[in-house]
Amino acid sequence: MTIFYFTLKRSFANLANLIFLTAAPIACIFLPAGEGWPPLAYGYAYFGIVILFVAIRLAQIMMEDRVKGILKRLSVAPVRYFSYLGQHLLAYAVILILQSAVVVLGGWIAGQELHRPWALFALYVSFSFAALAMALAWISVFRSKDAAFLFYMSLIVLAALLGGIILPLEIFPDLLRRIAVILPTFWFAEGLKSIASAQPFADNVRINATLCLYALVFLVLGSTRRMQ
Amino acid sequence: MTLASMQSVLKRYGSCAALDYIDLEIHEGEIVGLLGPNGAGKTTLIQALTGILPVDQGRISLFGDSRNPFSDANKQKLGLVTQEIAVFEELTAKEGLEFFAGIYGLRREEKKKRVAEALEFVGLSAYANKVPHKFSGGMKRRLNIACALTHRPRLLIMDEPTVGIDPQSRNHILESVQKLREQGTTILYTTHCMEEVQEIASRVVILDQGQVVKEGTVQQLIETVRHEETIIFDVADPLGIPLRQVESIAGVSQVSVSGSRITVISAAGAGNLDRILSVVQQHSGVLGIQADKPNLEDVFLTLTGKQLRDREGSR
Repeated sequence: MTIFYFTLKRSFANLANLIFLTAAPIACIFLPAGEGWPPLAYGYAYFGIVILFVAIRLAQIMMEDRVKGILKRLSVAPVRYFSYLGQHLLAYAVILILQSAVVVLGGWIAGQELHRPWALFALYVSFSFAALAMALAWISVFRSKDAAFLFYMSLIVLAALLGGIILPLEIFPDLLRRIAVILPTFWFAEGLKSIASAQPFADNVRINATLCLYALVFLVLGSTRRMQ
Repeated sequence: MTLASMQSVLKRYGSCAALDYIDLEIHEGEIVGLLGPNGAGKTTLIQALTGILPVDQGRISLFGDSRNPFSDANKQKLGLVTQEIAVFEELTAKEGLEFFAGIYGLRREEKKKRVAEALEFVGLSAYANKVPHKFSGGMKRRLNIACALTHRPRLLIMDEPTVGIDPQSRNHILESVQKLREQGTTILYTTHCMEEVQEIASRVVILDQGQVVKEGTVQQLIETVRHEETIIFDVADPLGIPLRQVESIAGVSQVSVSGSRITVISAAGAGNLDRILSVVQQHSGVLGIQADKPNLEDVFLTLTGKQLRDREGSR
């Protein structure tokens, strides 16, 4: 587990990452609730955007390994590529799961109206997996770290907007609402609505399963293109 | 004992053969200097030999194993110093080395010991707890080498380890390479700098356009051109010199231009200096004349018709 351990260490070694990984989730806990929208307090919707940012920041570590030739060095060592990838993704998943736990637990302690905290935690975890897999697929097609991050930032804002995280989906024209269904951010926003409106448990499962399916598809896309 | 070999290895990129049916053997205890200009195929050769790059044809053997040369057991005995500085900028030098020691399965005390040894070896012990982000280019290069040493490889492959560094760091690296050899490590050292090869290599392989042009000890290679002499003219107007006319002078085998220098290779003792000088003087002012003893640069020029340095950065 050398790679796993050092991936965790590297994830927190950078100041920008440290802010994203610690301050941003904590800030989300204390954002107030809106009137009628979003279904939970603002911070609990915006935490979806934080997850997307954190996922790309973390995945960039792998991209750096590719660009700097570390991956080349590792391919000469007795390490399988899938072991390298698996240990990286595991470390990132642990960080994202911990963040989700902090946000949900923090909200519960701070007295936020979370309706079903366990369902919310499950939604964050499923969305984290999808976000991580998307980031992996994204960096696999780029050669420049900065270009990958800049384009992805724009994409995140667009996806969050169209998916109904930043603004209610109902204000968009019908065509955009139909397109939004293909975005993982749409399913995240749906999940929040489902939790807030006390939909049946099966509805949460369906939404989480959809997000996990996104994770699987992007994971396959991102990992088949070896990063050498 | 042969530690690594390549037999008729072919690697193509489209229609261009980066390795054109290469044969190469590396024997235990030697420093093999792989010399060639940029684009000669040195890095491709290294990537093929280490299994990073699959080859189109041919056979590669590592540590006597040609059936599964890139097995984990063989990789344990192999070290690679990449041309890129492949170190973790966000971890301290010590932590970075601990990572590389860890992936080779070293544990706790042994890991600590090897990391300290590697840092000491490259002269970075005092910087063990500093992040390479603040290191000079030469220090980063040395750390890059240390990353390949913690598992004590039997065969160390170094891909242009002195690119872009100051002479002091370069000397440190060359001394380290020689020390490694004394400790029993076999080294394949690639460079386009012939002075480095001349200084450290026990055998030299000259590579050009994906082919092994010549191999042997430095002395053996120089012997092949000892019957020739090199005369270098520093001229005011190199483009004005009629190269064909100089080439037609009896005894002259090659003429080339590099900046303001005209290099003429002639048969030793041909007695043609006056004639060459008169042709050159007719067309340009001569600022200086110099006759050199043959070196690897001349060997390369004679064998390939090119100068190593002229082509730096060409590909």
